[in-house]
Amino acid sequence: MPKFTLDGKEIGFEPGETVMQAAWREGIEIPHYCWHPGLSIAANCRMCLVHIESGRQMAMPQLVFDEAAGEYVPATKSKLQPACQLEAADGMVISSTNDEVKTAQASVQEFLLLNHPVDCPICDQAGECKLQDYYYEHQGTLKRKLTEPVHKPKGVRFGPTIVYDAERCIMCTRCIRVCDEVAKDHVLDMRERGNRNEIILAPGRELDHKYTLMTEHVCPVGALTSQDFRFKARVWFLKSAPSVCTGCATGCNSHADYDPRNGKIYRLRPRDNADVNKFWMCDDGMMTYTRHDTDRLLMPSVGRGDARLPVGEDEALILGAEKLKGVDGDKLAVVLSAQHSTEDNLALAKLAAALGAEQLYLAALPSWEGDDILRNEDHNPNRAGATLAAGGAALKSVAELPADVQSGSVEAVLALGWATEETLEQLAPLLALDRVVSLTSHVGALPAVASVAIPVADAFELDGSFVNAKGMSQSFGPVLPAPAGVEPAWKTILNLARQLGKDLGFESLESLRQGLVDAAEAAQ
Amino acid sequence: MAIEIKVIKKPGRTVAEQVYLPEIAKGLGFTMGRFFKNTFGPKAKKEIATVKYPEETVEYPERFRGIHRLTQRTDGSPRCVACLCCSTACPAQCIHIEPAEYEPDDPRYGYERFPAVFTIDELRCIFCGYCVEACPCDAIRMDTGMHMPPSTRREHFIYDKDTLLSIPGRDGSYLTANPRHEPGDPSHPGVDRERGH
Repeated sequence: MPKFTLDGKEIGFEPGETVMQAAWREGIEIPHYCWHPGLSIAANCRMCLVHIESGRQMAMPQLVFDEAAGEYVPATKSKLQPACQLEAADGMVISSTNDEVKTAQASVQEFLLLNHPVDCPICDQAGECKLQDYYYEHQGTLKRKLTEPVHKPKGVRFGPTIVYDAERCIMCTRCIRVCDEVAKDHVLDMRERGNRNEIILAPGRELDHKYTLMTEHVCPVGALTSQDFRFKARVWFLKSAPSVCTGCATGCNSHADYDPRNGKIYRLRPRDNADVNKFWMCDDGMMTYTRHDTDRLLMPSVGRGDARLPVGEDEALILGAEKLKGVDGDKLAVVLSAQHSTEDNLALAKLAAALGAEQLYLAALPSWEGDDILRNEDHNPNRAGATLAAGGAALKSVAELPADVQSGSVEAVLALGWATEETLEQLAPLLALDRVVSLTSHVGALPAVASVAIPVADAFELDGSFVNAKGMSQSFGPVLPAPAGVEPAWKTILNLARQLGKDLGFESLESLRQGLVDAAEAAQ
Repeated sequence: MAIEIKVIKKPGRTVAEQVYLPEIAKGLGFTMGRFFKNTFGPKAKKEIATVKYPEETVEYPERFRGIHRLTQRTDGSPRCVACLCCSTACPAQCIHIEPAEYEPDDPRYGYERFPAVFTIDELRCIFCGYCVEACPCDAIRMDTGMHMPPSTRREHFIYDKDTLLSIPGRDGSYLTANPRHEPGDPSHPGVDRERGH
């Protein structure tokens, strides 16, 4: 592998790679605004200027003020190159920290801040803003321009999700490139020049494609803000935990940003994963966090409709077990969920096997609009995992369940999850059954027809894994603790099995996962 | 060099002190002297350090950190832009703010946000003054010269936005000495391309 030297450190590169790319892969950051590993090279911010110390030196003429002579005298300075556009060559010696580069970085930084409003206190980017970070790292001097900054449009609504502030914008064009290259929709462009530069919408258009929040995500400053996150929280209060998007079968990796003081999730951010989502997520995926605290089912209950009564956690387990006790295995329908983790589904499949139930169904949300960028048509994160948990056999759709109930082949139902394509009206035949037990994190049609509903943790509250459409199993940990009295579904199923006097062959998540590995090997 | 040791004798008691009664008489004599001087003596000679609170009060020093107030703009709206700097700086975590945005037809739209909710739990507050230090807009001040009015009910110590805006400074003003450069003023350079520059 050819190598170049950056600030005394040898870095290997693939032929054709740029200096910035190779350094980024090594985890070394050369200061930059406009460069993004997932986007094309614009080289317009000039923050990544570096000095090639090897080879023939190019000099640029300049005038330097000579204090002794009291006038400007001709001098030269080295010609610096943007690291993002500079193709790496074997044996190159590059400095990103020598005095000339430092001067260039400080000058670029001062230039970018010339007309900046410096309204950090009311800017949502404050705390994660590159202008702030680089000011401390590379400038640290006062602005020399004393005149009023140039004023440009503020609070411009770009679409339903994004608000634009031209005064904060540094014209790095990352948002334009995201629309062009990721969303393949040239809806943003730039107009005017110099300090009147601003980002504009294509005439007659709104920023309304499926990846608009990525423009905000790549914005290195506070110019683009998300309508959803705007003014909600200060980022320095937030903590991040790795998570996996529950929006579709792609399983994009995400960071869930939450406030530990109130246990609330405020936003998702894409987490880099070259094999799944690269650097991106779609808007609907970014908004899946809102499901976490809307329509949660937190209280175990018994009965239906107006006669539904809240009960304690232990009573709910006992009552749920009573409903399932003595049911003929042939007449018991077990519904797995494509929204729940593989572990939850596996525990349920084990319980189904212990009870002798052979009728396995799969509850899943209806498919949504897919594309060839990230979005999978399957609106469920774990259809493959649920199928795997059931031993790879084809699962019946919940749509068949009402007919099976009416024909008398099903007398009891044990259902996991809330997400079904079927509405309450379609599932109405289940209301005729006395023995319908639902383990669910949210309200929905399945919990609504259940005679015993037991709350379980949702995907932000448990240790689990999803198998995406490519067959990759991606595990994730809890972002927040589950509410008091609420356990992950696999644990609730284990407790239910204990009430029923059945041994499921696992006692902990580790032994359950070992079972998952065995199941995967058996399926191969 | 030898270390010099200086022996200090423990003070002992004299016979008069040991007998106890003369000392009691001396002490009571001093107390009674003060009692007659301060009760019946001429006013100028009285030596009383206390005041008859609450009928009489002592003026707090100029830099006394009293209860908070939110300063106003000239139009009566809060100067606060809900940046949460004060609640970030607050070591007692007693400030709760929910920011909101001005309506699109407001001249301040796009420039600033404002606090839809601004609550200070004065029972939690330790009166350190960090919120005042942190404020970039001179919007929160502790120059009221007032201490917390006592109450027997906890909710009386939860000060909301309207309460905080209704407390004047010690000079009786709801504003501050630092003027603001408001968007929409004729002096303001303008907020868009057409009116700008």
